[in-house]
Amino acid sequence: MLSIQNLHANIDDKQILKGINLEIKAGEVHAIMGPNGSGKSTLANVLAGREEYEVTEGSVTFMGKDLLDMEVDERSLAGLFLAFQYPVEIPGVSMSNFLKTIVNNRRTAKGLEELKAPEMLKLLREKIDLVDMDHGMLKRFLNEGFSGGEKKRNEMLQMALMEPKLAILDETDSGLDIDALRIVADAVNKLRSKDRSFLIVTHYQRLLNYIVPDFIHVLYNGRIVKSGTKDLAFELEERGYDWVKEEFGAASV
Amino acid sequence: MSAETQDRYIETKAQLSRLFQSVEASLNGESSHPFHAFRRQAMDKLQDLSFPTRRDEDWKYTSLNRLLVNEYGHQAAPKLEEGQLAPFVIGGEEVIQLVFVNGTWNKELSRLSAKPDFLVVMELKHALADPQYKTLIEAEWTQWALASDSALVAMNMAFAQSGLFVHIPANKVLENPIHCIHIHTKTDKPQLTSPQMFVVAGKSSQLTVVDSFVSLDADAVYFSNIVNRFVLEPNAVVYHYKLQNEALEAFQINHTEALVKRDGNFSSFVLDLGGRIVRNNISAFLGDSGTHTNLFGVYLGKGEQHIDSQTFIDHAFPHCTSNELYKGILTDRANGVFNGKVMVHKDAQKTNAYQQNSSLVLSERAQMDTKPQLEIFADDVRCSHGATIGQLDESSVFYLKSRGFNDEQARSMLQHAFLIEVLEHIHLDEVREKAEALVFAKFDS
Ligand SMILES: Nc1ncnc2c1ncn2[C@@H]1O[C@H](COP(=O)(O)OP(=O)(O)OP(=O)(O)O)[C@@H](O)[C@H]1O
Ligand SMILES: [Mg+2]
Repeated sequence: MLSIQNLHANIDDKQILKGINLEIKAGEVHAIMGPNGSGKSTLANVLAGREEYEVTEGSVTFMGKDLLDMEVDERSLAGLFLAFQYPVEIPGVSMSNFLKTIVNNRRTAKGLEELKAPEMLKLLREKIDLVDMDHGMLKRFLNEGFSGGEKKRNEMLQMALMEPKLAILDETDSGLDIDALRIVADAVNKLRSKDRSFLIVTHYQRLLNYIVPDFIHVLYNGRIVKSGTKDLAFELEERGYDWVKEEFGAASV
Repeated sequence: MSAETQDRYIETKAQLSRLFQSVEASLNGESSHPFHAFRRQAMDKLQDLSFPTRRDEDWKYTSLNRLLVNEYGHQAAPKLEEGQLAPFVIGGEEVIQLVFVNGTWNKELSRLSAKPDFLVVMELKHALADPQYKTLIEAEWTQWALASDSALVAMNMAFAQSGLFVHIPANKVLENPIHCIHIHTKTDKPQLTSPQMFVVAGKSSQLTVVDSFVSLDADAVYFSNIVNRFVLEPNAVVYHYKLQNEALEAFQINHTEALVKRDGNFSSFVLDLGGRIVRNNISAFLGDSGTHTNLFGVYLGKGEQHIDSQTFIDHAFPHCTSNELYKGILTDRANGVFNGKVMVHKDAQKTNAYQQNSSLVLSERAQMDTKPQLEIFADDVRCSHGATIGQLDESSVFYLKSRGFNDEQARSMLQHAFLIEVLEHIHLDEVREKAEALVFAKFDS
């Protein structure tokens, strides 16, 4: 599904990703952990196509295509979804208009007709219920005045509507209380299937009790320095990252 | 004043004089009518006044040269079919619809079926000859106009065709709007039209006037030189909307004034989409305490368009509030100007005045000049003002694109979102929907 090879990326001439290699097969759930500033969000944003980041080396194949050659919206329509660590607030864009456009753009791309108003409303309400939000949110502006938890649930709502092939969750669990965390985990688990994959960036082992990953990777200083199964998360939770830094820090300076 | 500019405008006045004579010659019996006597007075006045130049502080960014070098003609308005109006109509039968074709009131296309008996809608010409309104019109319109030192106001009065007088008596409410559709067509010579409207809202009355300025021919060249005056008696509520979508080579100067008496509530909303050079002079004179004034504006400039909004709110009495919000988007080589003056006099204690102008400038050669001016001479007031000029937020563009929006869709949605804050102040659904549709059509053009 996704194959990242030797990926290097800069921002403002500062090298952040220093050779990432990662294979994600259909149906797999991968978790990425790592200390602050190690490049997790950078990786997520490079995959989604954010232009501020300059890819200097390496390649990424997604569903057999050269991902780095695709526009941001093409990547999205091809099935790549990023749940942002910090979703932007856009006053003036109504949630309902935004969500409808998401649904209809996808349908148009698939050669389907746009959804009629009643079916659209039914679909939106069903997915809003899934993330346990109020239907009144349709009248609000996109993320404006949303609490941290609401923003994250809104990301999950969009994911549910977009039914991506690969969903990247950038710290969707950070700052959530246990109820909101369960909602996020449920949204992911409902979508899990043998041909859908997840890449979950998190700092906390807690999430992984709810979404059990197939693989865990440690990203440190722009490289994946360790990979393992879910036990690695317990080890990281207990021991922190200092041992990782000690083991790999010296090599990279 | 440079010799060249002065010469140009002297020639302009001579040309306007000739135009005036030719209009006069075509009047037949009407030339002795009091309305024409007034036009002649205005013409004399115009000869004594100077057209503003860029040396005048308020005209620093807008030159009248292009408007005044044209040799304007006058010719009979063409016949139009009702179907040609369809794109401009707002609402249905419940709306009083007045149609002006190249400045002349077209009674066949107008629809007064929704006009309640209490509402007076008539030509100023007739009102001036009507014993019931003569004194009012003379005191508050003709004398007011002759006292103005604006050459453009004098010019409007001199060339007025079908000026409109609207009077709503005390305690009456008009729920549905009066919609004036000012249509222009292509003419042999550029046409000068002088729309004018004098509205008197009686004590505790309420009414809404919507002015649409449109063109049937995209390449029509003309100059709409507008004068509007609103007098709000105590506790009256008046909403005025200008939806301007003139042809792209047309010119428009809009002089709109309101006199707001005790506890009156005046709202002006200006949407500027069309026109080559557009200039608004919008003033609210707060004539007593307890008044509220809203000035809203939206402008979208593309190509070579130049859109200038000058506003003035005169807080002369205590306990008045005003709220002003102008937002616009400029691209290509378009120019925008905002100069918003709020004057708070010494006695205007407890004034609460808010003013904001924000613009998006989306191309390197587009330009916005903004000057919010707050002059406060009272000490117990709450006033704030601000101006921002920026670009679209690229993180927001990225967010939308990551959700499958193409670049154009994302940018157009964000531009619309930027303007929503102003558009949502349009208080009638059908007017707001019309304004939004016009804005969208402009994005797509
Ligand atoms: N726009 C930017 N300009 C300059 N430096 C940046 C920018 N964005 C990120 N960086 C730097 O890149 C490095 C990696 O940042 P990134 O956000 O990818 O880390 P992260 O692993 O997601 O951290 P966190 O756990 O705090 O979210 C950091 O040193 C950060 O300061
Ligand atoms: Mg991060």
